[in-house]
Amino acid sequence: MDLSLSTRTEGDRIVVEVGGEIDVYTAPRLREQLVDLVADGKYHLIVDMEKVDFLDSTGLGVLVGGLKRVRAHDGSLRLVCTQERILKIFRITGLTKVFPIHASVEEAVNASE
Amino acid sequence: MTETSATPRGASSPPIVAKTRVLLVEDDEGDAFLVRELLLDAAVDIDLVRVRSLAEAHQHLPEQYHCVLLDLGLPDAQGMEALRTVLDAAPNIAVLVLTGLADEHRGTEAVAAGAQDYLVKGTIDGQLLTRAIRYAVERKRADESTRRLYESEARAAENARLERGLLPQPLVSSRGVEVVTRYRPGRHQSLLGGDFYDVVECKDGSLFAMIGDVAGHGPDEAALGVCLRIAWRTLVLAGVDPDTVLPSMDAVLSSERSSEEVFATVSMVRIDPEQRAARFWLAGHPLPVLLDHDITPVPDEAAGTALGIVDGDFWPGFDLEFDRTCRLMLYTDGLIEGYDGQGGRRRLGEDGMHRLLLDLMGTGLGASELTDALLAEVRERNGGELTDDVALLILSWTDEA
Repeated sequence: MDLSLSTRTEGDRIVVEVGGEIDVYTAPRLREQLVDLVADGKYHLIVDMEKVDFLDSTGLGVLVGGLKRVRAHDGSLRLVCTQERILKIFRITGLTKVFPIHASVEEAVNASE
Repeated sequence: MTETSATPRGASSPPIVAKTRVLLVEDDEGDAFLVRELLLDAAVDIDLVRVRSLAEAHQHLPEQYHCVLLDLGLPDAQGMEALRTVLDAAPNIAVLVLTGLADEHRGTEAVAAGAQDYLVKGTIDGQLLTRAIRYAVERKRADESTRRLYESEARAAENARLERGLLPQPLVSSRGVEVVTRYRPGRHQSLLGGDFYDVVECKDGSLFAMIGDVAGHGPDEAALGVCLRIAWRTLVLAGVDPDTVLPSMDAVLSSERSSEEVFATVSMVRIDPEQRAARFWLAGHPLPVLLDHDITPVPDEAAGTALGIVDGDFWPGFDLEFDRTCRLMLYTDGLIEGYDGQGGRRRLGEDGMHRLLLDLMGTGLGASELTDALLAEVRERNGGELTDDVALLILSWTDEA
């Protein structure tokens, strides 16, 4: 299975909708997308993971890298995820402590910094 | 001999043929004619394609040629420059250079620069030319296989070196402790990944075990894994307060990693000398499991953040009662990230792996056989070799003194 990526603007934030499998093979495309957004001056990002079927440690690394990049510009990287399997990965790696995780894109868009 | 007129790139790529395909790069009509005639005379099975300039040759080189006959006096590149361009564009093709009588010295220069041989125009006949082509192609083939052999030997040596660093011999002297370790590299990887483990028994009889995983694959991750593993062993042998081990490894990781994106997960445990209590420190790693008649993972609440994520992070230990009749299993995420074998895209996950393990434990296997059976089962469910590396460590206690 492949990775699908699409971006749209919601208010002052950019929503990156990710679908499929984020693994060692596909993670570089997500990295490229996040790097491009930051290079483009977009520092408030929301990664919608509702359609993600699988996430491995390389994928987590890309999200962590994205977070560090936006933080360097006082930005934010919020995740949208309600899938228990994916949430568990964030819990076990302790990343729930660093990523704000929301139940919907709307909630993430309206969250105050 | 058959002659093909030069067609631009992309027309159609040639099939793999037994015939020797030769690209002649020669701007002089007379010399090109001569080469063609010589090969015709020799009546050999050679496909000759002729182009007039280096630019034209460049368009043809991605196609499958066995040999390039290169004139060193072309309109768009002279001498060694032309040769270097061809060698760069087609490093696997044998190159024979053609020189005139007056500049024979350039032939030896060309051979030193990577050409297989040189031929002096006007001194060759069909037999000599064909033999030179055949020899050049064969020598190039032999050189290539030697190079590949050397590369695979170098990689094997690098792997062996990294493997010693990542997957050491446990430092355990008590005969009452059995340590079973396994490591399987993932599919598509010629080099080891970043999984590592270690077990050290201290002088007071306490036993420390650790397993970890640097996110990502490749030599950098593996080297960082070695670095973290050595840091861990050093800290444990130095007898530092165990609560400070992970913060120190975190500091090492943060200063040694190649990019900010790199993080590592680690599970560490200390079993007291009487084997009555276990203290766990978990940094973003899959939860270790206690095995008796059932499977009990260390609770979720013990899980701290992976190393390299939060500056100045701290990992409070999590205490559990322990019983020496238990076995303790530590593993890396490769074990639970395979498919679950139900035909869909579902992954095995922790729960699935626990179920497999429970079934196998019912058969009364020893730790070593249990480990092998589990790995075999996980691989079978996945429908073949796993994508990620797997490291796995089982500690058991026996009644031997």
